[in-house]
Amino acid sequence: MDMVAGRVWADERRPIRHVDWFLLLLAGALVVVGLFLLYSATASTLRGESLDPFVRVKKQAITAILGLVIVLVITTFDYRFFKVYAGFIYLATLAALVLVKVPGIGATDTTGTAQRWFAVAGFQITPSEVAKLSVIVMLAAVLSELRSPEPTLSDLIKVLAVAAVPLVLVFLQPDIGTSIALAAIVVGMLVVAGTRLKHLLMLTAAGLILIFLTFQLGVIKDFQRERLTAFLDRTNAPQDARYNLDQSLIAVGSGGLTGVGYLKGTQTNLDYVPEQHTDFIFTVAGEEFGFLGAMFVLLLYALILWRAIRIATLSKDPFGTLVAAGIASMFAIQMFVNVGMVIGIMPITGIPLPFLSYGGSSILVSFTAIGMLESIHMRRFS
Amino acid sequence: MSSRIKVLALLVALMFVALSTRLWFLQVLATTQFQQEARDNSVRFVYTEPLRGLMYDDRGRPLVENQESLEVRVNRDAMGSQAEAVVYRLAHLLNVPVRELVARLQDKRYYSFQPIPVAEFVQPHVRDYIAEYQELFPGVEVVPTSVRAYPQGRTAAHILGYLGPIFAGEYDRLKDKGYQQSDVIGRSGLEQVYERFLRGTQGVQKFIVNSDGETIRALGVKDPTAGNDLHLTLDLRIQRAAERELADELARARSGHDINGLPLKANAGAVIVMDAQTGAIKAMASLPSYDPRWLVQGLTKSQASYLYKSDAAPSLNRAIQLGYVPGSTFKPITALAALKEGFATLGGYYPCDATYTHPGDTSGTVFHNWTTANLGTMSLAKAISISCDTVFDRFGSDFYFRYVQNQLSDNGLLLQNDLRGFGFGAPTGVDLPSEGSGLVPDPAWAKTQPTLFPDGWVPGGDILTMIGSTYVMATPLQLAQAYSAIANGGHLCRPHVVDQVVAPDGGVVKQAEDHCSRTLPYTPSELAYVRGALGSVITSGTAQCSFSGFPTSQVWVGGKTGTAERPPHQDTSWFAAMAGENPNAPKYVVIAMVEQGGFGAEAAAPIARHVIEDIYHLPNNHQGGCAVGDR
Repeated sequence: MDMVAGRVWADERRPIRHVDWFLLLLAGALVVVGLFLLYSATASTLRGESLDPFVRVKKQAITAILGLVIVLVITTFDYRFFKVYAGFIYLATLAALVLVKVPGIGATDTTGTAQRWFAVAGFQITPSEVAKLSVIVMLAAVLSELRSPEPTLSDLIKVLAVAAVPLVLVFLQPDIGTSIALAAIVVGMLVVAGTRLKHLLMLTAAGLILIFLTFQLGVIKDFQRERLTAFLDRTNAPQDARYNLDQSLIAVGSGGLTGVGYLKGTQTNLDYVPEQHTDFIFTVAGEEFGFLGAMFVLLLYALILWRAIRIATLSKDPFGTLVAAGIASMFAIQMFVNVGMVIGIMPITGIPLPFLSYGGSSILVSFTAIGMLESIHMRRFS
Repeated sequence: MSSRIKVLALLVALMFVALSTRLWFLQVLATTQFQQEARDNSVRFVYTEPLRGLMYDDRGRPLVENQESLEVRVNRDAMGSQAEAVVYRLAHLLNVPVRELVARLQDKRYYSFQPIPVAEFVQPHVRDYIAEYQELFPGVEVVPTSVRAYPQGRTAAHILGYLGPIFAGEYDRLKDKGYQQSDVIGRSGLEQVYERFLRGTQGVQKFIVNSDGETIRALGVKDPTAGNDLHLTLDLRIQRAAERELADELARARSGHDINGLPLKANAGAVIVMDAQTGAIKAMASLPSYDPRWLVQGLTKSQASYLYKSDAAPSLNRAIQLGYVPGSTFKPITALAALKEGFATLGGYYPCDATYTHPGDTSGTVFHNWTTANLGTMSLAKAISISCDTVFDRFGSDFYFRYVQNQLSDNGLLLQNDLRGFGFGAPTGVDLPSEGSGLVPDPAWAKTQPTLFPDGWVPGGDILTMIGSTYVMATPLQLAQAYSAIANGGHLCRPHVVDQVVAPDGGVVKQAEDHCSRTLPYTPSELAYVRGALGSVITSGTAQCSFSGFPTSQVWVGGKTGTAERPPHQDTSWFAAMAGENPNAPKYVVIAMVEQGGFGAEAAAPIARHVIEDIYHLPNNHQGGCAVGDR
């Protein structure tokens, strides 16, 4: 045995040599852009309350560094471990989604309308965020083990049943935004898994009927319905439901082609846009950097999605392909629903913009997803 | 599997297309609108009302001033759940019926968040009470405001004008000029015409506010600039004299009778005193009148119905807004037209028969003189002096023949052109609102009056116009302008009431320019001839009785009586005069007009006489009673 040749072969196949640096760079760039936007959105308010204007930026930066550590940890694992433990991860997630609703265990947000997270050591751990990755892993595990190249109807029902349990739990929190994300992940993965067009159409029809029923049967509460439909009819929506959207549109629209300049946006600095540092962070880019700035942010997302889809094609096994496709679907739907909501073409649902929105769980889950993509990319030869 | 990944990629690409398209629309195509909305969002304005400019007479005596009023304003939005109780408490405190207060609060011109003024001139104790018990009066505030004061009372009310609220329909137009819905605006007289000078500039403080309405910082303060003052040509002393003499004579005339033996109504009248050399109006009176202080205090029901609905129409300025048939006061003007066209000459003699028939007219139309006697032939001056109609009727025929010969050219309307040259048939351009045009009848006008002129323009049109009768109409101001031209040697001066507009710092913003730039085509000798004829009216003509005992050696007076038929009403009594120490350039023109006042010599001439006496500090020693003269 030629030891030298063997070493060379081993070195060539060492996963660390196949890191997708560009993907990491893109994620890092989005986080840095996010920190600048976050500072603009929060500094004047914090200063007005005599607080450190950087307090939120610092917290977000620390979370992002933690996210990079997670990427590092996850890349050391072979992604196929996730397939092994998929069932366990899935069941743990379901347990967390149930527990978060138990009084005294889950934390309630300030408005008292939803109970969505655990308060742990000053961080909010939101199980519904984690649920997205759990569903991706679980569905990839199930779909990759199918015997036929195309899922049969009974396969499909099995897959949908697996996805439906966490989806319903998330929906009842209530967290409509994450419910939409979960549904899109399921669809995205089913498409990549080779589901027949006929079945996809049936699925779409069933989904529409379900949406119709939730509205008709009063599962959707009034305040949610008003927010959801405000974008369809801006002028007749109730004042409160309209306010978010109006202010958001004014912020983005007033940016013009090149924006009003960093830290100069009146909508941003005078607090006109509610929830601007979380769900409406994109308005800062729109107002202060204009159309060109907004397009730059979208370009970064497009490149990340390109890398994710590329990884899905490069993966050496169907499980990796499906996980990468699920992650791509997750990023794509969150980006589309969030930006679409900010600019008035999608309903207002609480859905964070990956890497940009302020919030620990969102950042950590996004980096975990990047870690999983890297793991797939690095091990495409081994 | 890779083909299915392409489907996923396609779906993702469609998302980017949708988002980019929408962003392009918002940020590039529709950005202007959003930029405006962003500005509206964050900037709030607090306005300070400027002090309105004042008005003075020609010697700086105040005519209009400002005074402070405590105004109660109610913000309906801020009354909250207590609204009903607040209204009851406030009505009780202000001592007004609840119903009336509610009606004021339902004023549709205001948005619910705008404070509505509900009471002015409240006592200081009301302000103190509301301040002390503010929790009982949410949304109610008492603020000092500036309102008009009239140190001379009713004097010159029509000229000064008054202020009024902005109508709902007007506000859209005015808000761009910096008006608030609660502002007042000039509604008549000089207040209306000089609104933009008098108003001043609002002070404004700009604040950047955040979404909670908290002030982040002040952007800048602009102090209000007081409005400009008006220095009028009016002489308060003459103005008062004109108003007094007009009122006295109206009362006196009512004890007289018309030619049918019925008591004269003498219900209304007007007096103008104008500087004949400049067009400056020294006095302008119109009765019935009103008290501008009513409008400051808020009109009572009876005041409002008197002012706006009664037949007396006291808000009308009869000196400028209504055209009247001028009667024989027109003759000096038509005489000049006849001289200019060569129908009359300075040395000519003309028959003053009892009746006149247009040559060749077989319709049986006969024009009567005011007397049935045949007065023989006479000069033009004599015809003016005794106001012979038939002499002028003949010139009317001459004008008509000229019209028939030259129908297709401008020369066909010589008489009408000459009268328009004197300023008749069009507003004089005085700086007062709603001026009347009067009427110079001509063939075109006749066509629009088929019942009066079924055969179109006929000789009677020119004949009647020649003696100022029947169709022709003039405002007292047009007559004053025309007589001034005769007095000053043929210059048509635009009448004006404001001499200077002066800024608060004393700088002159606007100075009355030379108003006498138009020169009329009459020779100095023609004008002097007519002035002489007017002088003889006083000494030996139709106004001899009215001016008996007047010291014409001290102050020369020329004038002309007019008695205009106005069926079914009683005759309009006119006197148009000029007076001055120099008979060749008399300084003042005085026009007096009394509706339903009988003969010119009866009601109007004594007014003119007394006003002239007042101007020159001469004793008033005539008691009227000259019910004689022309028709």
